[in-house]
Amino acid sequence: MTKIIEPKKQSNIFKRPSSETGIWSWITTVDHKKIGIMYGYAAFFFLLIGGIEALLLRIQLASPDNNFLSAAEYNAMFTMHGTTMIFLAIMPISAAFFNYLLPLQIGARDVAFPRLNALSFWIFIFGGVFLYSTFLFGTAGAPQGGYLAEEVSRLGSAPNGGWFGYQPNAGFKYSPGTAMDYWAIGLQILGIASLVSAFNFITTILNMRTKGMRLMRMPVFTWMTFAVSFLLAFSLPIIAIALFYVTFDRQFGTTFFLTEGGGDPILWQHLFWLFGHPEVYILILPAFGIVSEVLPTFSRKPLFGYPAIVFAGFGIAFIGFGVWAHHMFASAISPVAQAGFGLSTMVIAVPTGVKIFNWLGTIWGGKLKLNTPMLFSLGFIGMFVIGGLSGVTHSIVPADTQQTDTYYVVAHFHYVLFGGAMFGIFSGLYYWFPKVWGKMYNEALGKIHFWLMIIGFNLTFGPMHWLGLQGQVRRTWVYAEETNLGFWNLIVSIGAFIIALSILVFMANWIYSKRKGPEAGFDPWDARTIEWSIPSPTPVWNFSKAPEVKSLDDFWHMKYDEDEDGRPVRKEGADALLAELEEEGLNPSEEIVLPNPSYFPIILASGLPFLGYAVIYKMLPLAILGTLLILIGSFGWGTEPLEEEFMEDLENE
Amino acid sequence: MSDSHSYPHEPTGVETRKLGFWIFLSTEILFFGTLITTFMIFKGRDFPGIKLTDVYDIPFTSVSSFVLLMSSLTMVLAHNALENNDQEKTRVWLLSTAMLGAVFLAGQIYEFTEFYHKGFELSSNIFSSTFYVLTGFHGLHVFIGVVLLLALWGIGQRQKGLSLDGGMNLEFVALYWHFVDIVWIVLFTVVYLI
Amino acid sequence: MSVDHKPHPKPAQYVQIALVLGVLTAIEVALYYTEDFVGVFTDPLLIILAVGKFVIVVGWFMHLRFENSLINKFFTGGMILALILFAIVMFERAAANFI
Ligand code: HEM
Ligand SMILES: [Cu+2]
Repeated sequence: MTKIIEPKKQSNIFKRPSSETGIWSWITTVDHKKIGIMYGYAAFFFLLIGGIEALLLRIQLASPDNNFLSAAEYNAMFTMHGTTMIFLAIMPISAAFFNYLLPLQIGARDVAFPRLNALSFWIFIFGGVFLYSTFLFGTAGAPQGGYLAEEVSRLGSAPNGGWFGYQPNAGFKYSPGTAMDYWAIGLQILGIASLVSAFNFITTILNMRTKGMRLMRMPVFTWMTFAVSFLLAFSLPIIAIALFYVTFDRQFGTTFFLTEGGGDPILWQHLFWLFGHPEVYILILPAFGIVSEVLPTFSRKPLFGYPAIVFAGFGIAFIGFGVWAHHMFASAISPVAQAGFGLSTMVIAVPTGVKIFNWLGTIWGGKLKLNTPMLFSLGFIGMFVIGGLSGVTHSIVPADTQQTDTYYVVAHFHYVLFGGAMFGIFSGLYYWFPKVWGKMYNEALGKIHFWLMIIGFNLTFGPMHWLGLQGQVRRTWVYAEETNLGFWNLIVSIGAFIIALSILVFMANWIYSKRKGPEAGFDPWDARTIEWSIPSPTPVWNFSKAPEVKSLDDFWHMKYDEDEDGRPVRKEGADALLAELEEEGLNPSEEIVLPNPSYFPIILASGLPFLGYAVIYKMLPLAILGTLLILIGSFGWGTEPLEEEFMEDLENE
Repeated sequence: MSDSHSYPHEPTGVETRKLGFWIFLSTEILFFGTLITTFMIFKGRDFPGIKLTDVYDIPFTSVSSFVLLMSSLTMVLAHNALENNDQEKTRVWLLSTAMLGAVFLAGQIYEFTEFYHKGFELSSNIFSSTFYVLTGFHGLHVFIGVVLLLALWGIGQRQKGLSLDGGMNLEFVALYWHFVDIVWIVLFTVVYLI
Repeated sequence: MSVDHKPHPKPAQYVQIALVLGVLTAIEVALYYTEDFVGVFTDPLLIILAVGKFVIVVGWFMHLRFENSLINKFFTGGMILALILFAIVMFERAAANFI
């Protein structure tokens, strides 16, 4: 008989949340699985918004001298597109994977600090809402001395200084109004969310591992989460301070980045890219992790060179801190710095190459099963290689000064971010779909999605290589007829709509299969890692009893032996074992203590946007309200009894 | 926790909360590192207007630095007293730490107003901006520390007294407090003395 | 609670440590006033003293000396990373301004 210990109903001061279904169960949840799902949906919502923004950009550029968007609107759209995709789509969707999978992969019941986890999620939500509230409340006036009068935007005012917020362009003089403040403070809030989750994941990985889960037995996805968390923890503080400076410059008359008062615009670039380059690895490493799980499963071979992949991941993370100035080759940095950073950029291609060869080695000679997750992983390898190669061409400084600020760079980073990170993410979404919902997605629709997407993707971003080399500049709302860039731009725009179509197919598949899909069973892929050794959808308690791990790919070794040629042979008792596992997973035999739900994470998080508005509008009451919410949240948090204390009380009774 | 529980604890041998807290402190290094770097970059430059050297008062700041340094001693004594479960002493040392912290803060406020009256304002020039943002950010940390100390002291008034397990206990407040102190050790040298 | 292997110092020892810290601070302030005699050595000496105080507080008051080496690795790792990165930024900015 399952005994799940009920959460304590009455805490010292407030009544404890106790709903298990309905909206309150989601708002107060601290369950890593629910939080992961919420992260996923929220991020996908922002992905759609960012996608719509991209489509607007592409309609504008589909033909020369077009008038669909005004210059002002174009600036706002490309800024919000980049900001949204990076901070509100890919990062949180990676967080969704971390949340859902990390505890399952290391055999834990939850993350180390479940309430902090909920806090991260809510801060992310409030940060996103705050940033987007610029469309309602923000203003963007005409830049002083700017040559382009900023017209009124039909969409409402939004940040327009680029996702990189270069100074002094993003300062108050050239970006007057409040829109850029929404950007700076919005990113500040989002940064807190990621920072908190980074602490949480590092401690979780180090301290919540189940018996026998030594570091070198952890799945690669867990390793990559570990690396990403370090990158976040050590790079976000830098951008946080830089954003403080921006806010001070814009609001309180300082001149950190403005030459008029002795400040230094290049310092902004340093601080931004000190964060910004680690950030691109924050975006790609989760996809590396996903692909490293999918490829072995569908090749029915162990991952080729597991330690090499792990160390290369950390090599990338480490070297990734030392290449930031390759984004500044066209700025006034010293020649020594240019040479040094050009070299370090070339070096970082080495661990990246190691990974590629490991993946190829994994599929080499394997019995490939070309299901949708596998297709996306294979697509990932191809597209990421192209993006990596164009990246290496940027590392040659004289070449880069030609390429920088052209569509060639846009092609590069979309091949790595979309062809890399997004393809990896889609691969993971299909791969773990049956784990999360217990249902199987529709394979035919999945394949249609893949083929539409890879065709649309290459049509969209392939031609940008030569458009850029022909001199089309990025961040510019029109090009003239005489440039003869019209044809390929049209193709690019058509490609963008094909991608949009593929996303619709994906959504249809998701919605349909989640309801009506066939039962998946708990190990549909004959998988290797222990998250597949428990029932699907995952029970609230994850593992009914802490699993004991004996090797890398533990679940696989429960099912398979090797013959003399190293070929896998299914063990005799394998099926019986699986049935037993499922039975046990659904009916835990020991008491289960789950972390209690709590109101306070969302209360605490809700204070931050008010502080943001208070800074922008210099309104004391808002500041007081924000502080109060934070204080109430922290006080309630601090006085809420923990599960352990509750257990003790129970024993004393 | 009951024995029927198969879940193991902390394979690294470090308590989970402590581990998390130290990672937090490690990242704080980068917060302050960025601020200090900015300060150093501008310190090496020529800029118009009033300079920090025109306004500061080394004897005064030395005394308040000493006060903050000694608050680390009272903090560690409070920690030590609690380890020996001496509630009385713990409370006394906690309160003295909070008081020393408050004295430091008062000194900082006095210093800021003095500077301000001498015309050294937040937006006077790049140098005054870096000064106020850097030392202000540290001051904010001290302020939060004082609030935490007082909260602990308040909790310590209860029947049960304080203990070293559960939540944001004295050990973490102490770590935080010492961290704020070491930041000031660096700032005192970098900002005032060099 | 965590089990420490080496015993923490006693209150009397803490007071001695604090005395050392106080003396070091006094030397710092004195150095500031004797810059004319000490000359170019002033700044390096000041930095050494600050580092010394830093290490004492972290090692003894924060008990880092007595903790698991994992924590030590994180903290020192963060320090080293910050020092390298920010040193590069500072040198780059200085070079760009004077060369
Ligand atoms: C082999 C590895 C890579 C190398 C050598 C490399 C190199 C570069 C260089 C030198 C630039 C600057 C180009 C310029 O502005 O002129 C650049 C831009 C960029 N890269 Fe990469 N890159 C690599 C991988 C990645 C990855 C994995 C991502 C993301 C997942 C990424 C995302 C970006 C982004 C977003 C930009 C443009 C930033 C902007 O200006 O807005 N890169 N890359
Ligand atoms: Cu980069």
